[in-house]
Amino acid sequence: MKSIKRFSSALIYLYASAALLPLVWMFLSAFKSDGQISQNPLGLPTHFDISVFRESWSDGGLGLYAINSFIVTFATTVIVLFTSSMAGFALSRLKFRGNVLIRGVFILGLLLPVQAYFIAQNQIFDYLHLKDTRLSLIIPYTAMGLPLAIWLVKTYIDSIPKELFEAARIDGASDIQTYRTLMLPIIRPALVNVIIFTALGAWNEFLLAILYIQNESLKTLPAGLLTYSSRYETNYQLLFAALTMVTLPMVVLYVAFNKQITRGLTQGSLKG
Amino acid sequence: MKPSSKSGLFFLLFPALAIYLFAVVAPFFGTLGLSFFRWDGYKSPTWAALDNYARAFKDQVFQSTFVHVLVYILVTLVVEVLFGLILAGYISSHKRTAFLRISLFIPVMLPSIVIAVLWSAIYNSDYGILNSMLANVGLANLQHIWLGDTKTALLSLCVVSGWIYSGFFMAIFVAAFSRLPSEVIESAALDGAGAHQIFRKIKVPMIQQSTSVAILLCITGGVQGFDLFYVMTNGGPYNTTEVPTTYLVKTVFANGEIGYGSALAIVISMVGLFAALGFRNWQNRKEEELEY
Repeated sequence: MKSIKRFSSALIYLYASAALLPLVWMFLSAFKSDGQISQNPLGLPTHFDISVFRESWSDGGLGLYAINSFIVTFATTVIVLFTSSMAGFALSRLKFRGNVLIRGVFILGLLLPVQAYFIAQNQIFDYLHLKDTRLSLIIPYTAMGLPLAIWLVKTYIDSIPKELFEAARIDGASDIQTYRTLMLPIIRPALVNVIIFTALGAWNEFLLAILYIQNESLKTLPAGLLTYSSRYETNYQLLFAALTMVTLPMVVLYVAFNKQITRGLTQGSLKG
Repeated sequence: MKPSSKSGLFFLLFPALAIYLFAVVAPFFGTLGLSFFRWDGYKSPTWAALDNYARAFKDQVFQSTFVHVLVYILVTLVVEVLFGLILAGYISSHKRTAFLRISLFIPVMLPSIVIAVLWSAIYNSDYGILNSMLANVGLANLQHIWLGDTKTALLSLCVVSGWIYSGFFMAIFVAAFSRLPSEVIESAALDGAGAHQIFRKIKVPMIQQSTSVAILLCITGGVQGFDLFYVMTNGGPYNTTEVPTTYLVKTVFANGEIGYGSALAIVISMVGLFAALGFRNWQNRKEEELEY
């Protein structure tokens, strides 16, 4: 019995190490010359020179892509945060004609994949000259994040005793005052989840990023990395340096906030 | 409660509704509308009635994309959901598993382009580690041009997908296992059930709802999958990894067939929707049967 247990432990840890291998290889290869990489893919680097990171960051344009991604992600997250909490509050607590209809329209959004609408969206953005602007990403990312965000906020508010809101009303607060002073602080746990999946979704989105932005100076990381990887196709070391530089901050972020991030991402998908 | 004022209600709802209607709902109906036209994006569109749909049902490449995606879904059910379940089973019955939980979840965080470029390098026949590792352990005869060989390309992509999402499903199942009442498991252990038996006969059946959701996510995720396919093989070699979404993007953005592409988009969305609804229905019926 003991030996079976040991065996399964060994198997699981072997699997986990194998799963980490690609990332370790990527990291180590960033410190090897192109010749070392192609002649001895499994070899260890002989010295740790970080100038390659500087080259990929500035000459390769990675720094610019990262700034663009940051702007788009930040704007998307802030807009989703406010608009979804406002709408979620109204849909959960206020009685008005059309409430059920509006809810239904947002639930439809949970079922529609981006393929169902991006062709006409592309035409509309073309017509309005939105393409090659940051708005052409911020608007759809916000719209794609809204259904799930509203759903999470709404179910969270549903679970709060309605007497709380009625008391605020009796004290003479308007809905908007109630939203600002009472609601926003209470629903903070739901908003943390909203921030996590919205920000990560916007940071990693690929399809619209390559379709709507051709201007090199506006590209976000995923689109920029695609250009980068074809530009440096045979420049292995620069390629691995870029991948490492994008990966490391996310690993650090995940190690620091792994509980919240795991919850945010898994909850986000379960509700959908 | 009733809203305190009409203008307040409008203020709360308008921003979300406006952005969403503009960027999702209107484009959805727009795409539906375009699917009934012949249009290259420049000349004026001409009415095509259902011609685009008729063409889609005769398009053999388009049909083959669904076969590929079906294979992909079946394989990923094993390498994502089943592996995730086994990993979660181990983690939930052991202490000090932070290393496993963190290292296996990290790929979920990464942009798919990073993963696609990294794994293209791993599969690379010149400097990739897969072939050189095989050579090192004396299995050089197993070496392949993994992404360029019609026999291995699709499966190679499934492996990457498993590498990403087994950690994701693991996290879902770990959360589900942690919600199970500990008395049930303790009493089974007292009755002499081994860890393996408890896992298979008690824990897994009790989280059936999470498993259903995971399978559902695996199906819809498969039908919508795009990034890895586009970057790593873009449909090749010889269309063997062409999936609905890569074919769609080619039709619209490389061939400029906006009307036909719109019809494909609607068909793909409906297939995804019906696959999901069908699975859910089948699950519900199975549950009813169990009750009686």
